[in-house]
Amino acid sequence: MLRASTQVSGEEVNLKGIVEGNQVQTGLRGGEALIHFAETAVGDNVDAISVAREVVKDELGEKAMVDAACVIANFQRMVRIADGTGIPLDTPVAMMTSNIREDLGLNEYGSAGNTPALSLMQRLLGRVLQPALPLVVKLMTRNMSKPD
Amino acid sequence: MNFDYLEAPYRIRNDIPEAHRLIWQMIARPGNWWNGEDRVSIIAETRHAVDCELCRERRAALSPNSVKGEHTVVTNLPGPAVDAIHRIVTDASRLTETWLSDLYTKGMSDGGYIELLGIVVAVISIDGFHRAMGMPPEPLPEPVAGEPSGLRPEGLAEQGAWVEMISPLEVADTEADLYGNNKQAGNVIAAMSLVPDSVRMLKILSGVHYLDMHDVANPAANGGRSITRPQIELIAGRVSSLSDCFY
Repeated sequence: MLRASTQVSGEEVNLKGIVEGNQVQTGLRGGEALIHFAETAVGDNVDAISVAREVVKDELGEKAMVDAACVIANFQRMVRIADGTGIPLDTPVAMMTSNIREDLGLNEYGSAGNTPALSLMQRLLGRVLQPALPLVVKLMTRNMSKPD
Repeated sequence: MNFDYLEAPYRIRNDIPEAHRLIWQMIARPGNWWNGEDRVSIIAETRHAVDCELCRERRAALSPNSVKGEHTVVTNLPGPAVDAIHRIVTDASRLTETWLSDLYTKGMSDGGYIELLGIVVAVISIDGFHRAMGMPPEPLPEPVAGEPSGLRPEGLAEQGAWVEMISPLEVADTEADLYGNNKQAGNVIAAMSLVPDSVRMLKILSGVHYLDMHDVANPAANGGRSITRPQIELIAGRVSSLSDCFY
């Protein structure tokens, strides 16, 4: 969704920031501060968390810092649901992200084994459709996105 | 009043404590497979797991199975439940279907496991928010008396995960709210549908911590937050990567 959202917003992003942290510049406003906040907040060094939190607050504002803390909290939950149930990656997502996962080395993660390998046709289709990712995501998930 | 964020060092949106209070109330009530006292004990054990010496040694080992020993505990929960909680908290990326099957042979039911998972991840998330904000953890809720319902929802089927899930196409009227009449749902939403309230808690928390379900699939939506969608997804991706999560 990071790539899809930047395709929509027109921003350039270095996706390697996801796996390499602040070893790279993500290109997003406040990206370095947000990454550092995320990295410290999943640990237990309260002093480091405090410093990182204040940097986000100074760069992006208090409301943004609170929203960032929420997202950090959210994904500490979501990763454990995925890892705790062995769910495979949803096929449309797997198709559209196969090259990203390869580039970023995500296929090396242990939980990658929970997702069946894509067929050659699925991989090719994913690559062909990739430039239209935001639209494809919306179309493929339109039935998931209606309000209750 | 619990989750009183008025004293917090920062201004926090009102919908956040409201959601956290609701989750605390839901956990304190008897569930499908655990009573209220057990469910509150799951909160306590979740918080304690990070201090377990066995978990520390296992986390540092090449294979968690190579380290034998006993978990240090703070509750009277059954051994398989304690192991499940501690492993989910401290080493989730190395969980396997074999490990889960082993829990079943030791008396854990699939429903009991998913209900436990739903509580553990809710607590991790709420406590994670408090930690990120520099606030102490919320005191445990008072358990509500009563027996578990034993409810096993209709429509469960094997769908490639380690546990049965309900497809949005097979969901019964009583669980229709899980997917909001949608014909598709991401696997991570359906993952805990064996215990419908676990999905309901997930939706409540995701709605305030991340995005409402109807905004998730729209890459332009940021739910009115003060960070952009790319900033949201950058954080999401980094946290997932730090957890070695492929999904």
